Amino acid sequence: MSQSLRPYLQCVRSSLTAALSLSNFASQASERHNVPEIEAASSPEVILNPLTVSRNENERVYIEPSINSVRISINIKQADEIEHILVHKFTRFLTQRAESFYIMRRKPVKGYDISFLVTNFHTEEMLKHKLVDFIIQFMEEVDKEISEMKLFLNARARFVAESFLTPFD
Amino acid sequence: MLLLDYQNVLIESLLRDRFNGGASANIDQVVSDFDGVTFHISTPESKTKILVSLRIKCYQELVQYGAQSVLEREYGPYIVSPESGYDFSVQVDLEDLPADQEGKDDLVRRISLLKRNAMAAPFEQAFDEFHQLSEEASKYTSESAPQGIAEGGETRAIHYREEEAIYVKASHDRVTVIFSTIFREETDRIFGKVFLQEFVDARRRAIQNAPQVLFRNEPPLELQGFPGVSTSTNGEVGYITFVLFPRHLSKQRRDEVISHIQTFRDYFHYHIKASKAFIHSRMRKRTADFLQVLRRARPEAEEKERKTASGRTFKVQA
Amino acid sequence: MANINWRTINIDALDPDSPANFDLSSLTPAVAPVSTADVQNNAQQIRQLLRGGDNEGALQGALENPPYGADDKGKEVHLAAVIEILQSIRQSDMSPILSRLYGAPGGTEALDVLMKYIYKGMAQASPSSDKRNITPQVTGFSQVHARGGGEGGGQAMSVLLSWHEKLVEIAGPGSIVRVMTDRRTV
Repeated sequence: MSQSLRPYLQCVRSSLTAALSLSNFASQASERHNVPEIEAASSPEVILNPLTVSRNENERVYIEPSINSVRISINIKQADEIEHILVHKFTRFLTQRAESFYIMRRKPVKGYDISFLVTNFHTEEMLKHKLVDFIIQFMEEVDKEISEMKLFLNARARFVAESFLTPFD
Repeated sequence: MLLLDYQNVLIESLLRDRFNGGASANIDQVVSDFDGVTFHISTPESKTKILVSLRIKCYQELVQYGAQSVLEREYGPYIVSPESGYDFSVQVDLEDLPADQEGKDDLVRRISLLKRNAMAAPFEQAFDEFHQLSEEASKYTSESAPQGIAEGGETRAIHYREEEAIYVKASHDRVTVIFSTIFREETDRIFGKVFLQEFVDARRRAIQNAPQVLFRNEPPLELQGFPGVSTSTNGEVGYITFVLFPRHLSKQRRDEVISHIQTFRDYFHYHIKASKAFIHSRMRKRTADFLQVLRRARPEAEEKERKTASGRTFKVQA
Repeated sequence: MANINWRTINIDALDPDSPANFDLSSLTPAVAPVSTADVQNNAQQIRQLLRGGDNEGALQGALENPPYGADDKGKEVHLAAVIEILQSIRQSDMSPILSRLYGAPGGTEALDVLMKYIYKGMAQASPSSDKRNITPQVTGFSQVHARGGGEGGGQAMSVLLSWHEKLVEIAGPGSIVRVMTDRRTV
């Protein structure tokens, strides 16, 4: 399982490093405005081809680059109902704090669990390789966290059940 | 705090304190317990006479199943007519307590178990019915058993909560206790399912002698056609069945078993909420970690101080 | 005339000079239209090379003339052929083949095309993930669900991922940038 994890993350890392070359670009549609072109999508020529990196059907990263912004959408693996709920709660938690996260998008792109929007202003303020590091670490940590929470829940359920049923013995 | 107490701790501590020579003063407290049950402990007439009253939503049903006789058995001399707005009252005179410490403790224990004793009536009836049925059944072989014996006794319903109920039914070789519980939210349902799956598996896995637990979203066979059981299949209502075997129903075990099984529904919901809270706090912690990693991505902006020609200092905003 | 709500008219779409109406085709060099039949013939030839054991030749043939001008069906046919080739080449052969391709004339171009196919392959194998089937199983689910990937589709993915890694080692991250910017999509 984790045998394909390393090449997957490596692939995401190199794709992101390539995609994150952003430069300032004032809006062509409105004067004196500066918008992330991938979100506004007002001029088709500044939007580049999107890339998908996927490990299997359930885990994918969708990178949509443009001249001054990149939108990165992630699908987190959800094998069963309980994981689905945990992921849903966790992403809701994060998106509600999107403001402090700078690069997070409040609503994920349709079909994905969570999205990031990185603009040229962010890359000017922050070190690019650290940004990529952050996203990769985020993906790893979320996976780990979901498994841990699920394990904890199962362990606790087992303990609760056993302690209830023991007095009947 | 893993298991719930059978008795009401507030009542117990209050009485114990008072019985063992605590300062006598007027009391007037309304104490609430699980399942919407309220106690009222007060000293209406004089400081030495303590009145403890109980209100349960389903008291009429319990009376139907013989609660009166059970309560009389437990509290005989102390029963008084119920206070207005309450279903049942006992009164204890501090000057008239049993002499020995053991007797006092026993009285304290019994009064704090008031709720449990009231709810125990249908269970005790069912257990007695089970013993009776099993005796009769032992006279026949299973094929030739007459219809009445094979089916078992009637199903007793206790609607102790809004929209939730306990059903008890005795057969000749077991007693079935069915809890109907309602989950409003999807997340609660899923958590509940995880916990219940463990209940179902525990018998197979670790504790061989535990009662058998089953879980369904539709009413089980024993409740088909029972009045008041909703037949809607919207998945909100779950039915949890406990099958108690003869070894759980013996005379010396029965009190313990009754007390324990009454606490099931509250125990279950309590632990669901506790795990939700834990997961919540974990997510908070993880989010804080992420934030910290992100901050590392920003290079440290040094605060540069500059001076103007006239000597005024100011800082450069990053 | 007063029946129309003027504010909802998308003025940019009607204005011939606006950047929204930029003609994208002027950005891409002209591509000759290719018929689906031609693509299929090509794919057949490539498969024959593959069966003959000539992996490198098959790969080179596939990458030489990508069907930029074909329609969707033709492109899919070619993509399937390319993925087949990629899956049949062994791990240990990947790097040598890639370096030889890179060294040959027109090598960078060929490797860029390969990168495009890798990304397209990864985007392909995910059917509509919009529908999430939550089947509430009454009998309960197994708690011991391993959180590992690796179904049949997953295997193709891991092949593509390892190709991607080797490719970046040889051609560098510039090839990824060229995939993003090249308007001729494979």
